[in-house]
Amino acid sequence: MNEIIIDALGEACPVPLIKAQNAIKEMAVGDVLVLQVDHSCAMKNVPEWARKDGHNVEIEEVDDGEWEVIIEKA
Amino acid sequence: MNKIKEFFSKKGMKKAWGYVAGAVLLSVVQVITLASTGSPWGVSGPLMNWGAWTFRLFGGNVNNWHRFSSVGAQATLDAGFFSDPGTIRNLALIFGALLATLLASQFKIKKIKSKKQIIAAVLGGFMMGYGARLAAGCNIGALFSGIASLSLSGWVFALFLFFGAVAGSKILVKYFM
Amino acid sequence: MSEPTKAPSSIKRASSRTRTRKPKKNQIPIGIAVAIVLFLIGIYLAFTNPRLSIFWFTGLAFGFILQKSRFCFTAAMRDPLLTGGTTLTRAVLIAFAITTVGFTVIKYMAYVNGSPIPGQGFIAPIGIATAVGAFVFGIGMVIAGGCASGTLMRVGEGFTMQMLSLLFFVIGSLVGAYDFGWWKLNFIQDAPRVFLPDVFGWVGAVVAQLALIALLYFLALKWEQKSKAA
Repeated sequence: MNEIIIDALGEACPVPLIKAQNAIKEMAVGDVLVLQVDHSCAMKNVPEWARKDGHNVEIEEVDDGEWEVIIEKA
Repeated sequence: MNKIKEFFSKKGMKKAWGYVAGAVLLSVVQVITLASTGSPWGVSGPLMNWGAWTFRLFGGNVNNWHRFSSVGAQATLDAGFFSDPGTIRNLALIFGALLATLLASQFKIKKIKSKKQIIAAVLGGFMMGYGARLAAGCNIGALFSGIASLSLSGWVFALFLFFGAVAGSKILVKYFM
Repeated sequence: MSEPTKAPSSIKRASSRTRTRKPKKNQIPIGIAVAIVLFLIGIYLAFTNPRLSIFWFTGLAFGFILQKSRFCFTAAMRDPLLTGGTTLTRAVLIAFAITTVGFTVIKYMAYVNGSPIPGQGFIAPIGIATAVGAFVFGIGMVIAGGCASGTLMRVGEGFTMQMLSLLFFVIGSLVGAYDFGWWKLNFIQDAPRVFLPDVFGWVGAVVAQLALIALLYFLALKWEQKSKAA
């Protein structure tokens, strides 16, 4: 079980989402991706895509307007 | 009652609304805009005026440019920044978004992180500004308001906008990621 | 103001990275103060220039709604291809359908009453300039991460990148306005303006447009299902 952290702070949509999609492809089931974002639309479209894809998703607001989207590949 | 309380709670303020809720509400305000001002919503026209005012500030003259040659355009420019209805609406749009962000306790100045972002912002911004002038509007004036106005131009804009978005996506993935 | 204790996470994280979190600031008091100031500006405008106050309040509403719902016309055009998702595309189509009906009611009533139909200035000429402009705009908005309304909204959210993009939007507009005479002379002045009711009649135009929107909605839905299966 690995944990991968991607820093997408300051990246505008859709960059965080594409980064997450590419990372998930390379990961094994059970691995966890921590995506750091501060683009308000990314904390909506990333979890939305991940849930539709069937992964476990959690969002944590780590600072004002800064989030960690935690995705466990399923 | 509980729902209302929940909505105004700290947590409720943080919650993002659904896209469909956004679509319905934007549509309602858009229809109100046409009914109350006699003209639908537009964003990019006033941004051109911002450019003209700045150009004048530096001693430039736009009066003989074709785009500003009409009596209406001259009057708008002469009346000034704070008398242009479209400018007021654009400023209000920024403040409305700021307000929503503050009420969600999510405001933060987000700094530019890389050179790529600078190039993307400069290039993207310029292309949008130039393109909007040719097509007589942006995603709001030419697309949203155009289609709502039963204008065929809205659909033509949509088609080529989509082609542009496809090309833009390819450029983005290749050079800006 | 303590946060409620969270339910234990269902996600098992390999490293228990319990980074010490900065205590988050509560910005609601500033928000309320800003809301009061914005409201007072609106009231001031209502007394000095009522027309401007309408623009002020509708602008505030547009910005607030765009931010709250993360509505984005750029994503609606870009995501079907880039990510396969069409939720926003379909939301935009819903907005098109609602406003089509709303606008037509207003326009038709003016037509029946014999008064000038409002908003006809937005029936733009269709020609090469439309195609080139829309295409260039489409590339720009994807690269810059937001169209005109999206850029303004993100300026309000505090994005420096979009502030720069707004600056160059203004510069691009000015250059576009400078070149406009040439485009008008060569491509725009003879381009036709088509108001659909002139072609299909009022009912026909609304029915045709709603049918097209419904078809696109259906295609968007199928597209998402297809790209999910792939």
